[in-house]
Amino acid sequence: MVKYLAELGKLEFTDEELVKASEDMTSIIELMDTVKEIDVTYDPILDNKNVYLNDLRADETAESLETAKILQNAKNQQNCFVVPKVVE
Amino acid sequence: MEIKGLKLRELRQALDKKQVSVKEVTEKYLKRIKELDEDLECYITVTEDKALKQADAAQKKIDSGNAGALTGIPMAIKDNICTEGVLTTCSSKMLEDFVPPYNATVMDKLENEGIVMLGKVSLDEFAMGGSTQTSAFKKTKNPYDKSRVPGGSSGGSASAVAADLCLAALGSDTGGSIRQPSSFCGVTGLKPTYSRVSRYGLVAFASSLDQIGPIARDSHDCALILNHICGFDPHDGTSSKKEVVDFTAKIGKDIKGVKIALPKEFYDKGIDDEVRDSVLKAAEVYKSMGAILVECSMPSLKYATAAYYLISSAEACSNLSRYDGIKYGHRSNIGSSYEELIKNSRREGFGDEVKRRILLGNYALSSGYYDAYYGKAMALKQLIRKEYNDIFAVCDAVLTPTAPTTAYRCDENISDPVKMYQADICTVTVNIAGLPAVSTPCGYDGKGLPIGMSVIGKPFDEQTVVQIADVFEQGFKRIPPVL
Repeated sequence: MVKYLAELGKLEFTDEELVKASEDMTSIIELMDTVKEIDVTYDPILDNKNVYLNDLRADETAESLETAKILQNAKNQQNCFVVPKVVE
Repeated sequence: MEIKGLKLRELRQALDKKQVSVKEVTEKYLKRIKELDEDLECYITVTEDKALKQADAAQKKIDSGNAGALTGIPMAIKDNICTEGVLTTCSSKMLEDFVPPYNATVMDKLENEGIVMLGKVSLDEFAMGGSTQTSAFKKTKNPYDKSRVPGGSSGGSASAVAADLCLAALGSDTGGSIRQPSSFCGVTGLKPTYSRVSRYGLVAFASSLDQIGPIARDSHDCALILNHICGFDPHDGTSSKKEVVDFTAKIGKDIKGVKIALPKEFYDKGIDDEVRDSVLKAAEVYKSMGAILVECSMPSLKYATAAYYLISSAEACSNLSRYDGIKYGHRSNIGSSYEELIKNSRREGFGDEVKRRILLGNYALSSGYYDAYYGKAMALKQLIRKEYNDIFAVCDAVLTPTAPTTAYRCDENISDPVKMYQADICTVTVNIAGLPAVSTPCGYDGKGLPIGMSVIGKPFDEQTVVQIADVFEQGFKRIPPVL
């Protein structure tokens, strides 16, 4: 199970780490299981009542960050983000 | 002039009366950081040059009669708040060398006010934790006892305020991360109503719960800072358009007839006797001032920790999917394919607790488990909100302990995630319900460690929360740490 969850999260564990992570997850899930004790149903209409979503702005070109600033934290960039080859 | 221990408004007066210059204040704080921070480990980055430049600019503002409430005030900023051109690590190897190309909205606001930023302070990695011991860089200590944790995740902020390594600080609170460290370090922290303060530029942990807020010497100072960091922001899709009021407006008004709720579950077993007694004594102080104490119940509290961890981890695993080693953050040298590169970058960049949250979040959201866990947690969120609404239908505020214990030893709890999670029981409902709350000291235990109480208010009623906390603070003698 932990291996599957790790795959979903794009994480990798050594065999030793996997044992520890599985132990931790077992006790964490036991704590999470307390939510099963109560019979209560989610009502989507009630939710987000207090959240004020902004009006969307007009779909117009607006000033944004310069390319150089966007790329400044990329470890591998040649005026664009460089990724390993994905197409043969 | 001696500036050590001054409150924000006292320093404001001293600066305006020219009893001290901003440069002198800044240099004294920088000197104190050099002397004490090696042991306390609050600061990840000290921005000395920037601070001195800001001090000059602030002095000019004061000299020209244009000073605002925060002009020249030395502050520390939690290292998950983006500061343009200044390292913002989130206490994670993943962002070890990340220099934001933009400011968080709160930083633009504070810089416009003319604050002096002394530096960036430590936190639990990605704000996930309650001890600041999951930081990849500075495992901050408690100034009252350096063998103990400062709480977390805003442990660097709270410890720095308590040790007078800054006059005030910004923290962030997803499940108690402003209030619990404030409690452990004997200072005051204000978690605003969700959406009051823009989250733009706050590195996302759980977006429906995250909120930035101040940590300072008392509630009045917190309210003064809140006055200048909140307000509508088009960059934050959940930012409130609610009118910004003066959060100090009700300070000094008496609390006769104010109804304060004491939900019995917050005072149950699991709360240390000394903590419970201290908060109940504070309740009696309120009663002696004319407040009406109302005993009530919040039955959903026993499910709150699980609901909080399911919701916050589900959001965290989604938010943290952006760290792929490509655009910014740690990029592994190992991996010839895109998939391998991402996995290796995340394996090397994230610490154990962050990985646990990603696993838990994926578990809560995965097919076959979604309804039983995430769906149930969302239903519990509604139930918790309803129970608060019921209480607020008859009461003005709720009084609870901020944490079940005082600060624990640095080697305790860290290896037991369940124990760590359960310690959040007193704070998580406030985030789930999106409410404002202040934690302020109300006593000290037998070891001399601070005990904090939380005053929780109705949505957007920070004024009352500050009023109630302040009236107690006026008669409470704080004992500063000996350093």
